[in-house]
Amino acid sequence: MHLKAPEHQVAGHIAKDGKPGPLVDDKGRFFKPLQGDSRGEIEVKFYESFSSNTEVPDHIRRYFPVYHGTQAVEGSDGAAMIVLENLLSKYSKPSVMDVKMGSRTWYPEASEEYIQKCLRKDARSTTVSSGFRISGFEVYDHKELSFWKPDRKLLNGIKVDGVRLALRKFVSSNTLSDTSSKPDSAFASSVYGGSRGVLTQLLELKTWFENQTFYHFNSCSILIIYENESIHDDGARAQVKLVDFAHVHDGNGVIDHNFLGGLCSFINFVRDILQSSDESTDN
Amino acid sequence: MLKVPEHQVAGHIAKDGKLGPLVDDRGRFYKPLQGDARGENEAKFYESFSSNKNVPDHIRGYFPVYHGVQLVEASDGSGKLPHMVLEDVVSSYVKPSVMDVKIGSRTWYPDVSEEYFNKCIKKDRATTTVSLGFRVSGLKIFDCQESGFWRPDKRVVLAYKADGARTALRKFVSSNSLADDSVPDCAYASEVYGGSNGILMQLLEVKAWFETQTLYHFNSCSVLMVYENESGGDEERRPQVKLVDFAHVLDGNGVIDHNFFGGLCSFIKFIQDILESSDNRCENGH
Repeated sequence: MHLKAPEHQVAGHIAKDGKPGPLVDDKGRFFKPLQGDSRGEIEVKFYESFSSNTEVPDHIRRYFPVYHGTQAVEGSDGAAMIVLENLLSKYSKPSVMDVKMGSRTWYPEASEEYIQKCLRKDARSTTVSSGFRISGFEVYDHKELSFWKPDRKLLNGIKVDGVRLALRKFVSSNTLSDTSSKPDSAFASSVYGGSRGVLTQLLELKTWFENQTFYHFNSCSILIIYENESIHDDGARAQVKLVDFAHVHDGNGVIDHNFLGGLCSFINFVRDILQSSDESTDN
Repeated sequence: MLKVPEHQVAGHIAKDGKLGPLVDDRGRFYKPLQGDARGENEAKFYESFSSNKNVPDHIRGYFPVYHGVQLVEASDGSGKLPHMVLEDVVSSYVKPSVMDVKIGSRTWYPDVSEEYFNKCIKKDRATTTVSLGFRVSGLKIFDCQESGFWRPDKRVVLAYKADGARTALRKFVSSNSLADDSVPDCAYASEVYGGSNGILMQLLEVKAWFETQTLYHFNSCSVLMVYENESGGDEERRPQVKLVDFAHVLDGNGVIDHNFFGGLCSFIKFIQDILESSDNRCENGH
C-alpha cells in the first residue's frame, strides 16, 4: 500500500510535528487518523450508523463520503485510521472549498471549555452573523496555471463582504493573488449553476434537513469540489460533500435547525453570486 | 376606556400598578414605549415595516397593524406616556386559546452588551431554545372540562424540556383535562393546526418568506398562535399566526435571518408530527 499526504487539503488537521495527518493511497481511499479524546470514536460511530441507516435515501447518501471501516496502518504506530472514499481521487486539478455550516459550532452536550472556545471563534468569524464560515479554500488560477490559497489568518478575520469575495474568487479564472483585480466569476454558472451544479445539490440537501431528525451535524463542513482540467469542454463536475463528523450527535426527534439555518443562508449567498454573474453575462 | 388585556400570555403585564400594555374596546393594543432603546427600536421597526414596499401583502397579514404612537395614560399611574398603538390580535376572539413561542436557537445577537449576552445565553441554554430552536414563552388554553382557562405558572413553562414543549403543543389543541397528567387527546389538532387555513399552512407561508428575505433579523421575536373556543355561531376556530415583539429587530444587511428560519423549521416539524399522529389516531378509529 503506497500512502502519501493528500495534495489538496484545505482545512482540518494536517501531518505536523510528528502527529499523524491524513493519508491517501493510489486506490481512491483516504485514511483519517482517529482523533484523540472521544472525537475519533464519535466519527466512527457516526459512519457506522449512517452506512447502515436504511432510512437515509440514496440520493442523500451520495453527499457523504463512502465509509470503508477502520484499519491499523503501517507507519502510524499501529494507530487505527478511518478509511474513507478519497473525494478528490477522480479530479486532476480540483478547486476545493470547506465551509463550516451552522450559526454555532458548539452544542449542548459539549464541555463548558469547548463551548466557550467555540463561542469566541463563532463570534469572531461569520458563523454568528451569517450562519456559516469559510474554513479554507484552494483555487486553480487558469492564467498562472497554479493553485492559490488565501492566508489562513486572513480568512479567519473576514466579514460578510469577504465571504462574498471568496465565493466569487472560488469560481474565477483570473489572477487570484492580485487583490486589485476584480474576480471574473467566469465559472459561476458551470460550478454553482445548472441542473447538477452546487446550488441544485445544496437545495436537495436542504430538503432532507427540513425533515431528518437522525443526526445533528455539529461543526460539520460542506466541501465543494470542481474540476479545472478541460472545464470549458467537459464542464466543472462540481460536487458537494458533507465532511467531519467528530461532533455529530443523535437528533432525538428534533431537526438539525442549526445546520439547516446556516445552509439556507449559504444557499442565498451562492444564489446571489450566480444571479449577479448571470446578469453581467447578459450585459 | 383603556383596560388591562385579558389574554396576555407573555411579556410585561400591567397589573398591580406596574407599567404594561392596555387595550381599548375598538380592537387596539397600546404598548408603552419603555425608557430604554427597546421601545424606540420596536417603533422604528413598525415604522419601517409598514412603509416597506418589499414586504409582500400576504406576509404583512402576519404582523399586527401599526397605528403610530400616542400619548396615553400609563397603567402605573405615572401620567401620559408615549405608547405604540397596534392591532389587538385577540380582540375578535371571545374565548381565545393563546400561545407565545419565542423563535430562534439564540435570543442574543452580534454587538450586544456582555451583560445582555450572558443573560440571554443562560436562559437559552436552560430552556429549549438551544436544543429545539424555539421555546414556549407563555400559554393560556381554554379547558372545556373546567370551563375556564388553564395557565401554567411561568416558571413551569420556562423549565420545559423537549417533552414539555411537545406536551404543551398537544394540550394546546386538546379537549380533555389540561391541568392533570392525562394524555392530551389532540381533538382539535386538525382544525387548529391542519387544514388549508390552519396554523401549519400559515407557518409554511411565513417560512417561505424567511428563506429569502434579508430585510430584517427578528431577534427574540415570537410567534403568537390564537384560536377560538366559543361554541355556537359559525363554529369556526379561526386559527391565527402572528409575529410579535420587535424590540430587538435589526437590519438584515443582505443576510437571511437564519436563526429565526432554523427555529421556525424546527417548530414546524413539531406541529407536523402532532398533526400526523393525531391523523393516524383518527384513521384507526380512536
